[in-house]
Amino acid sequence: TPLWPAAPLRSWLIPVSSPLCASRGESVHVFGFEIPEEEFLAGFDPDVTVRLLYQDGFTDPLRWTGEAGGFGAEEFTALGVAGRLARGPAGPATVVLDSLSWLLLRQPLPAVCQTLGRIPRAAASAGLRVTRILALLHEDLHPPGLVETLRSLAQAVVGVRPAPEGMGSGEDAPRLASMLQRKGTGKVLTKEEYFTVLAGFTPKALGEPTGSVPRDEDADPHSTVDPTANLTFNLRLSDTERRARDGMPLPFHFSAQK
Amino acid sequence: MAALATGGGMPSDGATSFQRKVPASSRLATIAGTRPSVRHGQLLLSSGLPSLDCVLGGGLAVGTLLLIEEDKYSIYSNLLFKYFLAEGIVCGHNLFVASAKEDPADILKELPAPLFDDAHKNQVNEKETAIKSKQESQESMKIAWRYQNLPRIEVSPAASARIGHYYDVSKMVSPELLQSTKWHRFFVPEEMSLHPEIKTCNMTCGYTRLLQSIQRIIYQEGFDGSYPQKKQKNILRIGIQSLGSVLWGDDICCTDNPEDIYSLTKFLYVLRGLLRMSLSACIITVPAHLIQNKAIMERVTNLSDTVVGLESFIGSERETNPLYKDYQGLIHVHKIPRLNSLICDVSGTKDLAFRLKRKLFTIESAS
Repeated sequence: TPLWPAAPLRSWLIPVSSPLCASRGESVHVFGFEIPEEEFLAGFDPDVTVRLLYQDGFTDPLRWTGEAGGFGAEEFTALGVAGRLARGPAGPATVVLDSLSWLLLRQPLPAVCQTLGRIPRAAASAGLRVTRILALLHEDLHPPGLVETLRSLAQAVVGVRPAPEGMGSGEDAPRLASMLQRKGTGKVLTKEEYFTVLAGFTPKALGEPTGSVPRDEDADPHSTVDPTANLTFNLRLSDTERRARDGMPLPFHFSAQK
Repeated sequence: MAALATGGGMPSDGATSFQRKVPASSRLATIAGTRPSVRHGQLLLSSGLPSLDCVLGGGLAVGTLLLIEEDKYSIYSNLLFKYFLAEGIVCGHNLFVASAKEDPADILKELPAPLFDDAHKNQVNEKETAIKSKQESQESMKIAWRYQNLPRIEVSPAASARIGHYYDVSKMVSPELLQSTKWHRFFVPEEMSLHPEIKTCNMTCGYTRLLQSIQRIIYQEGFDGSYPQKKQKNILRIGIQSLGSVLWGDDICCTDNPEDIYSLTKFLYVLRGLLRMSLSACIITVPAHLIQNKAIMERVTNLSDTVVGLESFIGSERETNPLYKDYQGLIHVHKIPRLNSLICDVSGTKDLAFRLKRKLFTIESAS
């Protein structure tokens, strides 16, 4: 089941989610293309790193040196990924792609989506069980149609963006996460939450955005929408309009003016 | 009177012994689950939703295509898709299910279960009370004493003229009913893995294979009249889920300058030919809100017979609007076919909304 965060601040999401998966006894296979392995693994506890299996796609993406252990862009097929997963321990596995944007710049979207759909099946035939696929996406790199398509394919989407002004700045600045999850019964849940990441890569939820934070749309004091708002005609008269209407001589009345 | 019997009942039933004498050769061969339309003489099928059948003018004509423009999260379009297939199972039609995302076997397992008893109760409440009151008055009537000993036959009024059943969305269809249905499958990852050497970004690859598969089934099973000796004719219900989405190999949903802008329209053109020459009907759901180039949807609408768009209120500001509080979304009927006539059967109201209340999905005019 794929889920992707549309994140410009991706360096926080993988560290946050990996310990969670690792603590559940699953192995996490990270296919990294954007930052080197040392930088990625820095800051993790040793018991977490032992569960993280890093497939290095950063050092030699075009496979020029032909070193063993590297992962090239053209190896990203269902069978290629399943082959890498098979090198790890058996059992439930999570696949993390850092990042999907890197792959989308090198392969067309339909091929990438079809591969992602086939990874669980290919892994199952190799004896593994892929519980989830977590892919990171840099939203601003892609046309909106592509982002929308990916959002519709994913079972859960987490968007991360900086919190609005006035909530602090700097390294510990809180971020706004908007989450959308599609449940099996056809329900769609959306939630927005502020969070920050403490030292040791533990997330801390800071509560939901309230109306006190200024937003783009007008804050609605009532929860329901008033159907008489935003009409193109007047339902009520103002005082000057009322006086003008009363002062109007009616056509068939004889009055001093006529 | 007391013994209201359906025509042609056998005497052993306890019903009347009168039989309508019709020579066998001139009896019209009727196919289960269809009825001829009184308006234009075409054979009509039910789409699975009686209220949608009313909106479409009685039902879906055999040989036509019903296109559904998906709502934002494809929840209700999937529901309509499942209703169409479930109706096929109940009527005994053959099914052909094509999908790129879900395995067709899983789709069939999740079809809603038909409501047999409730269907009659919901529809004919007023008629039942009328019959009951008649029967009560007959008890007190001693004149026609001879008929009191005959078993009471409850008429399902106009059962032969009405097509369509009601379904319970919360229950799955029983496996026995599924096993008795003959169905065919087309699952894109499966077909692609059969021929891996063909590149997956070839746009028409998935569509071409699907057309070949449909054509093969129509010919092999004789839906186009290839086997005239087969007396029992049947309908093939084709369901294609989320056509045009990325998983079919088409990129019309990602860019407004796709590689092959005409592949979907070519597919629909060929499909229409296949449908017209066989006893089949097709439902296709298309993620119209994702297609970037709006000209494509115009062409797709032109090539389809019936086009219905769904708009759900989830996540939009209409969710909290008190006008729409009973409904889950709106239905827009974009096109209805003109079969054998100059005008089509469009319903008078344009504001149609749908609601999913516990088990029942109904379409009503929103006012």
